[in-house]
Amino acid sequence: MATWTDRAVGMGLVVFSILLFTYYSIWVIVLPFVNSDHAIHHYFLPREYSVILPVVAALVLVLFIGGFITVVLWKNKQKKKVN
Amino acid sequence: MASQKMKTPKDSDKYSVLLPTYNERENLPLIVWLLVKYFSESGNKYEIIIIDDGSPDGTQDIAEHLQKIYGSDIIMDTILSASLLLGTAYIHGMQHASGNFIIIMDADLSHHPKFIPQFIRKQKESGYDIVSGTRYSGIGGVYGWDLRRKLISRGANFITQVLLRPGTSDLTGSFRLYKKEVLQKLIEKCVSKGYVFQMEMIVRAKQLGYSVGEVPISFVDRVYGESKLGGNEIVSFLKGLMTLFATT
Repeated sequence: MATWTDRAVGMGLVVFSILLFTYYSIWVIVLPFVNSDHAIHHYFLPREYSVILPVVAALVLVLFIGGFITVVLWKNKQKKKVN
Repeated sequence: MASQKMKTPKDSDKYSVLLPTYNERENLPLIVWLLVKYFSESGNKYEIIIIDDGSPDGTQDIAEHLQKIYGSDIIMDTILSASLLLGTAYIHGMQHASGNFIIIMDADLSHHPKFIPQFIRKQKESGYDIVSGTRYSGIGGVYGWDLRRKLISRGANFITQVLLRPGTSDLTGSFRLYKKEVLQKLIEKCVSKGYVFQMEMIVRAKQLGYSVGEVPISFVDRVYGESKLGGNEIVSFLKGLMTLFATT
């Protein structure tokens, strides 16, 4: 068995994913069919965010990966220069 | 001695174990002993081929010593190149192999020979061309990785599964059983090195229509001499992955 911290992190990831999935599914699939004066709409952001947020998240991810690769390759170049 | 203890219907099957080594002076006697033990118990014909990359720590002397102890079951061979390409080691080893099956594994005790009889059994079950030890399926796993390493490994495996759709759960593993002609064919076609080489083998195998079976294994990451997974390794992995994605 993995250490309890590892398993806690794993469980946390799973729970987070389920929550996110459920929230997003209700937001995008269920809410359009619910009357606009129903109380449940208070718990969800305005609908345009259901598109904007994933796009921004994807952008951040791509930038992070690109940045990571850039830094690593740049550090490599520095090392080669020293050698 | 490597005599058969029981007559099996297909007693013409012989298993050649290829052990590429570099500075494995301490581990070599252990791994050879374990191989001899498990093969003798299973009654299969086998041979062990040690391919040493000119280790400066005297691994070759140990290999010669072991050859005297265990007899001609073990063949030793040496490549003296400074930068040993894994593929080259396998090619070299296969030239001296008399078996019709080839087993590749690490010589640093991260792969335990006790799984080899399971590989053999699995192969005989369905006549697989390749049997791959998997760390990500069934009861397979890794001992000795911290959280960061585990996350990176899972992340890498996920991306690989999405991009390459290999049909197997562990692509970078190097504990495998191949039919000799299959390994020869694949090595001809593969161009990468290191663990990307292992990935490419499986992807090309799928391309060529070979069947791949899986056996869960436990991988023990040795604490001493463990290679750190730094930014460099991650970037070269991504590069290799993209190359494979683009070319296969």
